[in-house]
Amino acid sequence: MNNKPKIGVYVCHCGINIAKTVDVEAVSEFASRLPNVKVARNYSYMCSDPGQLLIREDIKNEGLNRVVVASCSPRMHEMTFRKTLAETGLNPYYLEMANIREHCSWVHEDREEATEKAKKLVFSAVAKARLLEPLYENEVEVEPATLVIGGGIAGIQAALDIADAGFKVYLVEKTPSVGGRMSQLDKTFPTLDCSACILTPKMVDVASHPNIELLAYSEVEEISGYVGNFEVKVRKKARYVDVNKCTGCGVCSEECRLAGRIPSEFNAGMGNRAAIYLPFPQAVPAKYTIDPERCLMLTRGKCGKGPKCEAACAAGAIDFNQKDEIVECKVGAIIVATGFDVFDAAKKPEYGYNDYDNVITALELERLVSASGPTGGNIVLGKGEDAFVPQEVAFISCVGSRDKSVGNEYCSRVCCMYTAKLAHLVKEKLPEANVRVYYMDVRAFGKGFEEFYDRVRREGVRYIRGNPSEIFKRGDKLVIKAEDTLRSTPIEDEVDLVVLAVGLEPRRDARQIIDLLRLSQSADRFYLEAHPKLAPVNTATDGVFLAGCSQGPKDIPDTVAQAKGAASSALVLLSSGKVKIGAQISFVNEATCRGCGYCVEICPYGAIELVTVNRMGNMVQVARVNEALCKGCGACSAGCLSGSIQQKSFMDRQILPQIAVLGGVK
Amino acid sequence: MSEQYDPNIVAFLCNWCSYAGADLAGTSRTHYPANINIIRVMCSGRVNPLFIINALQQGADGVLVSGCHPGDCHYMEGNFYARRRFGLMKELLEYVGVDPKRFNMSWVSASEGSKWKDVVEDVVEKAKEAGPFEQFRRNKINW
Amino acid sequence: MVDLEKLKNVAKDTVSREDVKYLIGWRQGTYGFRVSPLFMTEPEDADKLIFSPLCVNNLATYLTLAEKLPVPRGAEPDTRKVALMVKGCDSRAVVQQLIEKGIERESVLVIGCPCQGVLDLEKVEEKFPGIHSPVDVQWGDDKFIINLPDGPQEVPREELLAKKCLNCRYPNPVMSDVMLWEEVEAWGNGEYADVKELEEKDSQARWSFWQDKFESCIRCYACRNACPMCYCEDCVLDRLNPQWIYRSNNISENTVFHLARAFHLVGRCIECGECERVCPMGLPLMTLNRKLVKEVRDKYDFEPGLDPESKPFQSSYRPDDQEDFIL
Repeated sequence: MNNKPKIGVYVCHCGINIAKTVDVEAVSEFASRLPNVKVARNYSYMCSDPGQLLIREDIKNEGLNRVVVASCSPRMHEMTFRKTLAETGLNPYYLEMANIREHCSWVHEDREEATEKAKKLVFSAVAKARLLEPLYENEVEVEPATLVIGGGIAGIQAALDIADAGFKVYLVEKTPSVGGRMSQLDKTFPTLDCSACILTPKMVDVASHPNIELLAYSEVEEISGYVGNFEVKVRKKARYVDVNKCTGCGVCSEECRLAGRIPSEFNAGMGNRAAIYLPFPQAVPAKYTIDPERCLMLTRGKCGKGPKCEAACAAGAIDFNQKDEIVECKVGAIIVATGFDVFDAAKKPEYGYNDYDNVITALELERLVSASGPTGGNIVLGKGEDAFVPQEVAFISCVGSRDKSVGNEYCSRVCCMYTAKLAHLVKEKLPEANVRVYYMDVRAFGKGFEEFYDRVRREGVRYIRGNPSEIFKRGDKLVIKAEDTLRSTPIEDEVDLVVLAVGLEPRRDARQIIDLLRLSQSADRFYLEAHPKLAPVNTATDGVFLAGCSQGPKDIPDTVAQAKGAASSALVLLSSGKVKIGAQISFVNEATCRGCGYCVEICPYGAIELVTVNRMGNMVQVARVNEALCKGCGACSAGCLSGSIQQKSFMDRQILPQIAVLGGVK
Repeated sequence: MSEQYDPNIVAFLCNWCSYAGADLAGTSRTHYPANINIIRVMCSGRVNPLFIINALQQGADGVLVSGCHPGDCHYMEGNFYARRRFGLMKELLEYVGVDPKRFNMSWVSASEGSKWKDVVEDVVEKAKEAGPFEQFRRNKINW
Repeated sequence: MVDLEKLKNVAKDTVSREDVKYLIGWRQGTYGFRVSPLFMTEPEDADKLIFSPLCVNNLATYLTLAEKLPVPRGAEPDTRKVALMVKGCDSRAVVQQLIEKGIERESVLVIGCPCQGVLDLEKVEEKFPGIHSPVDVQWGDDKFIINLPDGPQEVPREELLAKKCLNCRYPNPVMSDVMLWEEVEAWGNGEYADVKELEEKDSQARWSFWQDKFESCIRCYACRNACPMCYCEDCVLDRLNPQWIYRSNNISENTVFHLARAFHLVGRCIECGECERVCPMGLPLMTLNRKLVKEVRDKYDFEPGLDPESKPFQSSYRPDDQEDFIL
């Protein structure tokens, strides 16, 4: 095909938006005399149907093979005009735009000056257009499966939605049971639904869904590949219990020599468990697990005269020789729903969390008020003879949130409301108790939140605006030192129980997933979304989505909503079955590449690798671009000393003529 | 240097922040000098350091590279590479006696239309102070 | 101290090895103070090897310069090692080539020669003009012993030391497979008087300085060809499409050539001074390169060619890189 450039230049008036300051006639007349320009026209609205028709007609009748549209920003209408070209069968990447509106007519007043500048911009676009090359958007098949990392409510919801849509889901949960943080909660604000009652059915669904492969007590070990085609290795940790045989009867746990001697993670340390355990009664899968760090048999090699669990298990499910297993799967999309950790209250030593037994965190109180908790839902502190029921209860909000001194500048979004909820529950269970809340601000922004906050105050919970400076012991009592900032009076408040409304933090093992998926973190250290507003569930890595608190603090409704968003984003990929790969990506001239690997290191997406090729019988290393991973930033090409790696549509040889024109050496 | 001297500035803007910021300046009808001529690239990390020397050679009196603020790069890291490259490019140019006012780099985000105006005014003013660039300007047009 | 016997023995053993293609070392040249490279394949050539203040050249350039000839069909490519004699500065070139994968570790055998500083050939030829027969030079205590045809002459070291050696911080090879003799004590402190002097001038004076130099450039590309770091198969500055610089020899194209070359050496120049040595017009090219060496070292805390495991400067960044110049 004769590919000698025949360029059509179209200067848009944009009504008067451009024409008022730029002499569009003069610009198109100027353009008509530029090299390789076959036709140059101006028209009132190039983006309108008749405007686009003008281009299409000229392509047909004049045999144009390049088009320059001088109008608004390419960020506005590049896609529109690419389509125009494509409709005529011309490659859409034969389009170049000159931005003579945002960058010219709207920012300059002097008509002559603006016209001259518009001419220059058009000239620059023509200079580049003549060197444009046809580009093609490739498509790759999408593996119709999804990996969901994290089995909390976010992961559960996302997994269920995708599975219900008919696609395979691998749900990986680190701990022995799905359920996550929500399973630890007693009631949920502001409706006071029982958390377990609404969560458990979903947990059961996950386990029984034909499309979901639940990999509990497992960790993702390796992820490679790219959108549509991720290859995942999951380590299924040994439970030392044959899950096919275990009936979940629990006799083993009762018999265990360490029964009641190991702090229970599920109960936030408020209760104890055995070395062989079910994290909580409703755990899914309802299979026992031996804690390899505690079990005497596994740590010391012997357990009395023989492991009692093994003797007790009628099903013969105990297997101390079990090994970790590696499960490999291929997925098209990945949802990260790894959740959060609560703030470590010990980092605020002034509140005495480490020093006083009756300073507890909200999560610990959550377990105390829960019917499934260690006290059966009774708010009792201490053990045996020391046990007592608190009468004076204080909550302190914003512990580890909105606090630069501990590095958490953000608001954790849930503490105000869970404080109100817990205060309500305390009042409900101990009607005689005096409950007060020390707060900075009450942020009751959600649906039904303000109403609930009001209700709790009407129930007699006192809200005191002031951030306590210190908690110390005086006799049996704890003394809270604070200032009531609304009354400007200092307070010394004697209480029995202090509950710290600890904030939400990124998981302490957040790094693992970052390394696996090349995610970024925002300033608050939560995972960074692709765009805070318009792509809140996407990440910079195509095909990887975020759900729940791994992206930032959220309450349950928001988490579920985001999980559904992530699921639907994954489904967009899976159900279309194909994913388009950008056309303006990098490519390597292997003949001149010297294989130094600079581009490999520069590429933020790991899209470039060094491969060995045969150059006249000699084996040499050259760079090669994985087109599915390249996002087309071009950073590689600026770092290439031999100019061997170039970005399509932004090649050195296409930009240099632009510089020449704009520099304009006379 | 004559009173009428109108510097010619070539600017390389990243598509996602600075180019969008310049678009916003337009949408907000912010007026600024017409001396600036923009070349769009996808990322400030795409700007080959040789572009800077080339622009001066091909007739620019000043060159500007503008990208996203650190941490905001659409491609996560491109502007960090740009920062390193152009910090040294500025040193090199200054060392051979090119007026440091001629080469500038800025961070302009998509929401900083007014900052873009300030940057343009600033670099135009600086280029005016530096006067027409003659030192290694090429003598004929390249195409 | 230089132990020629050991050098020769090591060389003999080395080239006798099955897995060694050849050894690159220095031999006395045919004229005055000049030396030439010796590509040694036979043990009996060992007697030709020298190591003396005359061994100015950086032989590491030959590692990447060696043409990879087409391999006949059915034949295996020759993957034997190349043994290479290196001074301290030369060894940094090898390390830098390793960092940027120009060569592979297993393809090179580095023979380290701790060095007490080499001669400035221009100065020595000026001091002893018109000498045609080959001259032997040795290191003495703080002096060079120059064995002229009419008897030995002693010259204080400072008087004839090459510019690159005046302030050398790495006289000992930073990497080697064999170290031939004891390491010497480094004498440099990393300050660059020439750069400092120029920095203190005003902009106009700096340009006048460089304008004068670049105008005299004849664009023979000797600087590029001698540089151990310039080994692209196809140099971007040679290319016609895109054509970064024109062929014409004028201040514009010459300046751009030198700036582009200097910039391509950012974080890569190991200060062997070959570019400056080979320049027929006497351009102070190291005064240009050293500026960037200094900036990279002072502001980015990086020195090239020291650790084969380090990340290349140009393909890395630090989140806290300086940015006070940014608007």
